[in-house]
Amino acid sequence: MDALLRELREGPDGIPEYYDTEITSKELTIGSASDRNIQLLGRGIAAEHAVIVRAGGQLTLECRRGELVLLNGKKRATARLKLGDVIELGGHRLRIAPPPPGFDVAIELQANELVDASAFEGAFRTDLSQTWLGKRTMAWTGVALVMLFGLLLPMLVMKLHHAGKQTPSWLLGDEFWSTGPLHQVHQQAIGERCETCHQKLFQRVQDSACEQCHRTTHDHIMPARLALTELGPTPRCATCHREHNVPQTFLVNRSDGQCVDCHGDPEDGFGQIKLDRVLGFGLARHPEFKPHLLASTTVRVGSGFGYEWKTVVAELDKAKERSNLKFSHQQHMDPDRVLRRGDSQPMNCADCHRLEADGEHFTPIRMQDQCSQCHELTFDPASPDRQLPHGKPREVVLTLQDYFTRKFSDPNMGRVAPRERRRIPGQQREEENCTGAPFDCAMRAARKEIETQFTRRGCVGCHGVIDTRSANIIDRFQVIPIRFVRDYFPANRFDHRSHQIQGKLTGDEACLSCHAAKKSQDSADLMIPGIAKCTECHADKAAAERVTVQCVSCHDYHPREPGLLQTMSSSISTWLDGPETKTRPGGELAGS
Amino acid sequence: MIHRNLLMYRGARYLWWSLGLIVSSCVLYFTQGDAQPPNGGTWQGYVLGTIGALLIAWLTMLGIRKRSYSSTLGTVQGWTSAHVYLGSTLVVIATLHSGVQVGWNLHTLTYVLMWVVILSGFFGLYTYMSYPQRIAKNREGGARAELFAELFELDRDARSVASRCAPDIAIAVDSAIERTTLGGGIYAQLFSRDDSYFIRGEGKPIRNPDQQALIDFVGSRLPRAAKGAEAANLQQLIVLLCRRQAVLRRIRRDIRLYGWLRIWLYFHVPVTIALLVALVLHIISTFFYW
Repeated sequence: MDALLRELREGPDGIPEYYDTEITSKELTIGSASDRNIQLLGRGIAAEHAVIVRAGGQLTLECRRGELVLLNGKKRATARLKLGDVIELGGHRLRIAPPPPGFDVAIELQANELVDASAFEGAFRTDLSQTWLGKRTMAWTGVALVMLFGLLLPMLVMKLHHAGKQTPSWLLGDEFWSTGPLHQVHQQAIGERCETCHQKLFQRVQDSACEQCHRTTHDHIMPARLALTELGPTPRCATCHREHNVPQTFLVNRSDGQCVDCHGDPEDGFGQIKLDRVLGFGLARHPEFKPHLLASTTVRVGSGFGYEWKTVVAELDKAKERSNLKFSHQQHMDPDRVLRRGDSQPMNCADCHRLEADGEHFTPIRMQDQCSQCHELTFDPASPDRQLPHGKPREVVLTLQDYFTRKFSDPNMGRVAPRERRRIPGQQREEENCTGAPFDCAMRAARKEIETQFTRRGCVGCHGVIDTRSANIIDRFQVIPIRFVRDYFPANRFDHRSHQIQGKLTGDEACLSCHAAKKSQDSADLMIPGIAKCTECHADKAAAERVTVQCVSCHDYHPREPGLLQTMSSSISTWLDGPETKTRPGGELAGS
Repeated sequence: MIHRNLLMYRGARYLWWSLGLIVSSCVLYFTQGDAQPPNGGTWQGYVLGTIGALLIAWLTMLGIRKRSYSSTLGTVQGWTSAHVYLGSTLVVIATLHSGVQVGWNLHTLTYVLMWVVILSGFFGLYTYMSYPQRIAKNREGGARAELFAELFELDRDARSVASRCAPDIAIAVDSAIERTTLGGGIYAQLFSRDDSYFIRGEGKPIRNPDQQALIDFVGSRLPRAAKGAEAANLQQLIVLLCRRQAVLRRIRRDIRLYGWLRIWLYFHVPVTIALLVALVLHIISTFFYW
């Protein structure tokens, strides 16, 4: 609308003067702010006090919330205006006058001359407290937002989840309480369903929550053994398995503290279970290793006898290998005495000891894999391709009898096969002199060769053989079986692969730095190093020239096999001879 | 000098307290070892968190202590000195407590709120150290009301002189006085935004920042002044307008300095309240989902 504002003022000479201002605006704004159409200063006048609007020829006065004006002497917040109305505010008078041609409205303003400087300052907003900034407003807003996102939404989402309802992924719920990321695998399986593990408020995560998925993990102590102690329940899973950590891949507290808490004082609470004191890894802090060895004993089986193998736990300094093999590592590693077949090079450890894929164990030593390349089981130089069967003494006897029977009965071979071996002067070969029936000659020759194989060269080179003096040649010789320990420390880990290079030592040098094979002449020598060897390089605390190891570097907290301890204490029985063996136990060791 | 007394209170006693607290917190932090990542979940983390929470609670008490005029529990100056130093310590303690593990969660929100409070406190300390002198220098020892009184007088004189000049000059001066802005919103107060206008002749309002456009307009009429009286009036008017310009500058500067002196409290105090709530929820939620 087009408005004419006529201001009445007293001129310099006391004569009233008019100052006209034309205003073209949608509405007439009145207040103390400088951007008002009609700026009025003084006490009680707000920055934006009132507006005059014109709609359909009708003028209306509207005050801002909380503000009032005097209209014709009466307090009003809103009013319809007509010609001649007088609006008063702060001592200023506004009169609605008849608009001259070309104007919609005319207002005569008689300003209050008594407005002083202090009222003048109030026309401006000069302090931050006059802006929308407010400490209380901001504090309440902050508190409301924190309560909403920190308590109400999480509680709501938690309740919904507990009721089995889904919530949209964008809704920030109880994951806002999460103290950090889950391990990636847990994140994948659980995501933002906190209640999977946190089943009750103010209750620590229970093992039962873990066991929903981890059903096959064995506890540290079998319940039957735990019952023998006064230790109480085993620690919660979360004692060691700490979640919500950075880095996200962290899940296991590997510190020794938890282990040493119990194992540092084996007198306390272990009851019937006797354990060594462990304070960490070091000479005085960790007991000497106790290898698990196999030992065979002869037992009566029906009318015959067999061998029973037991696992025994031995003190390292007294431990003897009892594999029943006759073997000298020193001899095999001496290049003056043994060279590899084929390339005639000295033997390496790895020629026989081949590391398995797990990096810890070695493939079992077997005649056909490791020994037979050099040690053939030939018996007749005239037939270098014929070999005796290994591991089956009865078959050996039968094979030799068959061989000689055929030899003595073959008309094309001549009576006697020439032997390449030099004859001892003055002695004649039996075969050459045998004039009896071919079968008798063959049996005699076979018997001779059988006795040679079992007592002088052949089986007896590596095996212990018992000569039972039985008249029946088939039953006469008993070969003592051989069995190697698969794992000297079955409950523990040792990574051979990571020890194949030790500083400047590689290959055999690395092996021999721990296993004194070059000095071992007897297979009874147990070449397992003691803890002193390990502590040359390892310690439980970070130190110069020491690689740190924790308990869990070598030991499993969760047993790989639940009954391992029971298995160790019980015997492993293997019957090596069939029950049909008729020989009596006893006899003397052949070839000794 | 209040600020010097604040920081050097009793030979900076609380500075040494704070340094002691920082060193012991660091020692505690490094006893956590590398068995698991250091954070609020280790026993050291719990200890650091408890110290931090107690510190926050105590630091908040300054707001109560400074209003307790009858209290003899230390001087407010001593409390404020300790507030500044121990509050700064909180940055180290809370960071060690967190193990610098942050994420989009309530715990990091608490940590961020704490940073907002402490940084706004640092800013407040800076303004309290440097702004009062600048404000006093700008006001030349007087009060703001005196500047406004001077402006009010100048406005009245300028209107009066302008009314004796040509009508367009009178309108220009009148409109310039009416449309002079001072202060205003937060931005206008803090950055002295000047939205002043004046009306010249028939045209639209002309921007009149720092009143320079008006002075130029009146000045441009001076060479063309016909009579001696008109020239004298214009001369007088220009003097008044220039004095008015100087007073306006000083008031604007006063509003700006005063605004910056006080703005930090609008964050320091409300965010502290939000922080207290977040802190309580942080502690409770840790045990909600233990």
